[in-house]
Amino acid sequence: MISLEKISFGYDGRTTLKELDLEVPAGSFHFLTGPSGAGKTTLLKLLHLEHRPDTGRIGLFGEDIQPADPRQRTRLRRRIGVVFQDFRLIEHMSVSDNIALPLRLQGKPMATHGDDVIELVQWVGLTERADALPRTLSAGEKQRAAIARAVITSPELIIADEPTGNIDAEMGMRILRLLVELNRLGKTVMVATHDLGLIRAAKSLVSARTLRLSEGRLMQAASDL
Amino acid sequence: MAALRAMAVRLGLVADVDGGPPIVPPSGWSAWLTTLTACAMAFLALLTIAAGLAAGGLAEDWQADLAEAATLRLPASTDAATLERVIDQLSATPGIASARALDPGEQAALLEPWLGRGARLADLPLPVLVDLRIEGSGPDVPALEANLGLVTPGAVYDDHAGVRAPLGRAAEEVRRIALAGTVLVVLAAAGMVALAARASLAANAELVRIVRLIGGEDAFITRAFVGRIVRRTALGAIAGAALGAGALAALPVGGLSTALAPVLLPGPGGLAALAAVVALGFVAVGWGAARATLRVTLREMQ
Ligand SMILES: Nc1ncnc2c1ncn2[C@@H]1O[C@H](COP(=O)(O)OP(=O)(O)OP(=O)(O)O)[C@@H](O)[C@H]1O
Ligand SMILES: [Mg+2]
Repeated sequence: MISLEKISFGYDGRTTLKELDLEVPAGSFHFLTGPSGAGKTTLLKLLHLEHRPDTGRIGLFGEDIQPADPRQRTRLRRRIGVVFQDFRLIEHMSVSDNIALPLRLQGKPMATHGDDVIELVQWVGLTERADALPRTLSAGEKQRAAIARAVITSPELIIADEPTGNIDAEMGMRILRLLVELNRLGKTVMVATHDLGLIRAAKSLVSARTLRLSEGRLMQAASDL
Repeated sequence: MAALRAMAVRLGLVADVDGGPPIVPPSGWSAWLTTLTACAMAFLALLTIAAGLAAGGLAEDWQADLAEAATLRLPASTDAATLERVIDQLSATPGIASARALDPGEQAALLEPWLGRGARLADLPLPVLVDLRIEGSGPDVPALEANLGLVTPGAVYDDHAGVRAPLGRAAEEVRRIALAGTVLVVLAAAGMVALAARASLAANAELVRIVRLIGGEDAFITRAFVGRIVRRTALGAIAGAALGAGALAALPVGGLSTALAPVLLPGPGGLAALAAVVALGFVAVGWGAARATLRVTLREMQ
């Protein structure tokens, strides 16, 4: 599903990621952890084609990434659902319009997909907030809206960047359960977090692999987290 | 109808690219500057075109009047019998519809601007003038002059070319100036739309980033922004063209001679057609300018 070979990347000359190798099989559940500033978000941005690696090769869904091909970029992005660390909801659109947007972008008419949106809004528990604007939502509600938007098109790969970053433990568990449920539906899930409690809590729900990013290198985390 | 709507959607002319809520956020009052500017420019464009048409048409009309007439000048010494023979001969010449000698009163009227009223013309050795109505391409002038020379030496045929040529040039020149003015106004409108498109994208850079990240194509973004800009331009252009046409229609041309009025201004139907052409032209130019600018700017924003 994801295959990284000797990926290096840095901002303004500093090296953030050093010759990373990574194989992520389809249907797996991965945590990506490491101290703040380690480069978790950066790595996810490489996977989502928001950044280009300085060196190395990225394979997604069995395709080699051609950095200069915007069509390929759009096509592959449509197969990835991303929950951004900062949500990136569109401020002038209501919760349900935000959630429906990826469908519209793929030319799927509301006439046939409107029910999916209503169902998904319900699944993330935002039915009563469906018409609210993002700025009126709590962090947990934004987080759930962002998750719903990430999965509305039923993408094969779900990337979530600190999905429990600014919410309490109870809401964090609720979101974790949503992600695990998606994984059970066959989605490949990659969650960046420095919430070790979340990773521990996940153990009873899913067999997840934990990767640790530190000083630009990626290693399998100790199993006794 | 469905195909028409699909086309309008593709062109970004219809609100809400796909029936969903607008992708581009509502923007404040500054966006209405686009409408206002388009309105002013469409107004100016319509007036410029109308002025060009009117002035060119007027010159052409005078020129046409002159082209249907010619003058034969005979020496002052020509006597009545000779004049009669000349008139007969002219009337029989192919290309001349009629020939008529000016009477002294008419001749006096022609000279009045130079000599003043009441000049004693009888004392002046004035040439005898014959007014000719031309038909078709006119007479064979060298042959005519040669024939007339047998009757009365010194006859001069004047087809008014000396006056017609400058009038023709003036009409041509007025048209060129009006065309240049129109082109400039349209270019300014295109520039205004391009600026508005760039400003709109810059103000919504984060929106563009998000839409791209969640799988939106640039074509979708372009359509959403083009629609917004073209609708504003269209609104302004329609208002401006209608105002311009209205202003022209309200001109007090009734006071002008009826012979002149139709040349000066198109009638109500003509004005409406002109307004429609101007408004459509602005929409087309606005659409093209917005689309081209958005595509280039989005490529820069990769
Ligand atoms: N756009 C940017 N320009 C320059 N430097 C950046 C940029 N984004 C991130 N960095 C730097 O790159 C490094 C890795 O950042 P990144 O956001 O990937 O870390 P992270 O592991 O996600 O951190 P956190 O846990 O706080 O989210 C940091 O030193 C950060 O300051
Ligand atoms: Mg981060």
